[in-house]
Amino acid sequence: MSADIQIPDENDPGRLWRLASRLSAIAVLAALLMLLSGTGLPPLMARFILLIGLIILAAVLLRGKYAKFFSGPAAYVATASLLVLVVLAIFAAELSPQNPYDLRQLDIMDGRQPPGSTNFDKTMTFHLGTDEQGRDILSGILYGLRVSLSVSLVATLMAMVIGVVVGIYAAWAGGRIEAILMRIVDFQLSFPSILVALMLMAAFGRGLDKIVIALIIVQWAYYARTVRGTALSETRKEYIDAARGLGLPAWRIVFGHLLPNCIPPLIVISTVQVANTIVLESSLSFLGVGVPITQPSLGLLIANGYGYMLSGQYWMSMYPGIALLAIVAAINMVGDRLRDTLNPRLSR
Amino acid sequence: MSSPVYRGLVVATLAAAIPALPLAAQELRIGLASEPSSADPHFHNLGPNNQLRRNIFESLVGTDEAQQLTPLLAESWAPVSDTSWQFNLRKDVTFSDGSPFDAHDVVYTVCRIPGVPDSPSLFTTYTGGITGLEVVDPHTLIVHSAEPYPLMPTEFSTFGIISARANGVDGSALTFSPEGCGNDMPVPATQAFNDGSAAIGTGPFLLDSFRRGEGISLVRNPDYWGEAAHWERVTMLPLTSEGPRVAALIAGDVDFVENPPLQDLERLNADPGLRVVQGISNRVIYIHLDHKQVPSPMITGTDGANPLQDIRVREALTIAVNRDAIVERIMGGVAVSAGELLPPGMFGAHEDGDLPPRAFDADRAKALLAEAGYPNGFGITIGTPNDRYINDAQVAQAVAQMWARIGVETQIDASTASTFFSRRNAFEFSAYLAGWGAGTGEMSSPLRALLATRNSDLGLGGTNRGQYSNPAMDAVLLEALRTVDDTARENLLRQASRMAMDDYAIIPLHYEVTPWAMRAAIDYTPRADQYTLPYMIRPAN
Repeated sequence: MSADIQIPDENDPGRLWRLASRLSAIAVLAALLMLLSGTGLPPLMARFILLIGLIILAAVLLRGKYAKFFSGPAAYVATASLLVLVVLAIFAAELSPQNPYDLRQLDIMDGRQPPGSTNFDKTMTFHLGTDEQGRDILSGILYGLRVSLSVSLVATLMAMVIGVVVGIYAAWAGGRIEAILMRIVDFQLSFPSILVALMLMAAFGRGLDKIVIALIIVQWAYYARTVRGTALSETRKEYIDAARGLGLPAWRIVFGHLLPNCIPPLIVISTVQVANTIVLESSLSFLGVGVPITQPSLGLLIANGYGYMLSGQYWMSMYPGIALLAIVAAINMVGDRLRDTLNPRLSR
Repeated sequence: MSSPVYRGLVVATLAAAIPALPLAAQELRIGLASEPSSADPHFHNLGPNNQLRRNIFESLVGTDEAQQLTPLLAESWAPVSDTSWQFNLRKDVTFSDGSPFDAHDVVYTVCRIPGVPDSPSLFTTYTGGITGLEVVDPHTLIVHSAEPYPLMPTEFSTFGIISARANGVDGSALTFSPEGCGNDMPVPATQAFNDGSAAIGTGPFLLDSFRRGEGISLVRNPDYWGEAAHWERVTMLPLTSEGPRVAALIAGDVDFVENPPLQDLERLNADPGLRVVQGISNRVIYIHLDHKQVPSPMITGTDGANPLQDIRVREALTIAVNRDAIVERIMGGVAVSAGELLPPGMFGAHEDGDLPPRAFDADRAKALLAEAGYPNGFGITIGTPNDRYINDAQVAQAVAQMWARIGVETQIDASTASTFFSRRNAFEFSAYLAGWGAGTGEMSSPLRALLATRNSDLGLGGTNRGQYSNPAMDAVLLEALRTVDDTARENLLRQASRMAMDDYAIIPLHYEVTPWAMRAAIDYTPRADQYTLPYMIRPAN
């Protein structure tokens, strides 16, 4: 009904942006689904769609605030490195010289070779060396980046959805329901997340799907608490009263009016949380409970080489470590800039 | 002459001299990889405890580096009938409190073993088969059993003898019976061993102090009946993480460490001030296959059939593994490729070269798979612990590589040891990697546990989680277990082992090798039982 009241305006630039953001969001989701299921478009095309969609989404998010976002050299550096790492992760299969997850391509006789050495048949150069299974570290890093990024993105998004639903419902319902839900959140937040994740992984076993579930369970509470806080202050505002006065159904008020106004703080925590999720996933894999050992992520690559640090075979741990550091630092810096850009309080 | 340079030189010289001092004082400091849970010789049947026990409490029968039996408190032993063994005891042995050692102390010890309170793992495993102890004279003991018991002398190498007299018992009044020797017999509490008051043995060392988490201190037994230990004092420090243990050796804080990590051996070997010794252990790392379940868990692409029931598939999987490559690349050369379940040189194992590791032949493996009806292979998952054996998950991964090459799509399911073992015991894997250390040092141990048809009444196949069953091999094995004559028994054990290996019942990968690292001035002969025994550590020649 609110759409009926709105007067369509062909010259409204916002309309175009909204259209672009919706289209690119759908494209990103479709591309992700196609890549994960291995059906539909050829993978290379799906990857391009994914990359372009992500860039458009970022542009929509920063619409009209570019100057504020790129207010210093650090912002350029962070954005550029994040972009490079995301490109590397998305096109890992095309860029890496070896598929480190295909056991047939590995040969333990190529194990623990220093950077720059070649394999036995001289068909391939290991630019960053190999680990003890004969896995090219460079390929391992590219694939590992992809695992780390996609696991944390998916886990963060789903945790956000669950957290938002719980948080808004608690704020809207109030009373006993709110009290119960928020005590559950408090209870969960009182445990260190790595501890909870370790226990869950010990119960679930290894696997990408299981690590995603564990990360969701660990993280949803942050979003629930944040959204409830924002939603509580928003429900007291006039536009919600107006919507109520119009006789709109509750779900429509919550999702059509309340939710959009709770989004900006969510974007800020979720960027920081993506970085935290990457670190958490790497820690779990490092501790030996995360991804399957034949499909190493960055954390598992570091763990594999860790034992050889003292004996001088530094490359097995060091390069994956640098990659992990780079991605986490880039995401955190971009997240910082986003917070400064989007936070309305700072602009007053 | 008091320039800073000169003073610096003096300090440096002194600092360099300090690590050499303890050797001169005949003190030895050892970094232990795992700590004993008690000084009580009968409290906990655990490697580190048994290792400490051998220094203080001796057993009737000793074992050498290859786990062959040697005389210790018993000078000789021999079967006197089908179901009894006679042990002739040494006459010149006294306990550290001065009381003489005789057969009554053995009776007292066997009487104490079942009644140790709160014991996590009793030594009745070894004494449960004894039905009677007959003291013919103070230095002659006859041990009776219900069945023929060829391993009786081996059992008597596993527990240390404590003194009856020192604990206020008149041994000659004691009669042994399997139901108990009378409840009123006074026995020392475990705590009394830990605080040293009951630590009265016949061994080459006396317990000076035992403090959990801090260390164990031993002093030389001045009245030891045998060859005296070289060290006046031995300090054993629990340094359970690998890095700090090696660092302590390099820094000179300890003189000797157990189990330095494989990846550091190269570096330790290169140091002229240090020595690394390594010896083959009694532990084999193997992959067991599911012989029984149809369909077998986590096997794909076979329409529900269990391909592992086909001997050609088992042979293909066996020869697809390049053992030498695993030993060289994953184990850093610190392992020996295995052809059966016990290394050459141990009782019941084949002589070196008689049953060599199956040669690697990927082409033949592919042909065998095609012949068995799987030209495109199938899918399988190897279950493995990732914190139990040396590089366990890495070894499984290397095997997965090699199986993938012959077309068998292989996944790895690695988990922590406790999870892995409970899942394995629930038969959740169609192939799993594990290890077996032959505690008795002879072939019947792995054959009984891993390959005999599962039968809890006979105590067979307890760890046969692939449910292999070969009645012909069972018959040979059971005959061996009844045979008292050593030569005949060894031949039967070899025969049983060959039958299982020819049936590709199990895939032996390698024998673990145990390394020790020490200062170059001392030397140690590696032992198959992996024990670190300070009285065997000597200055290097």
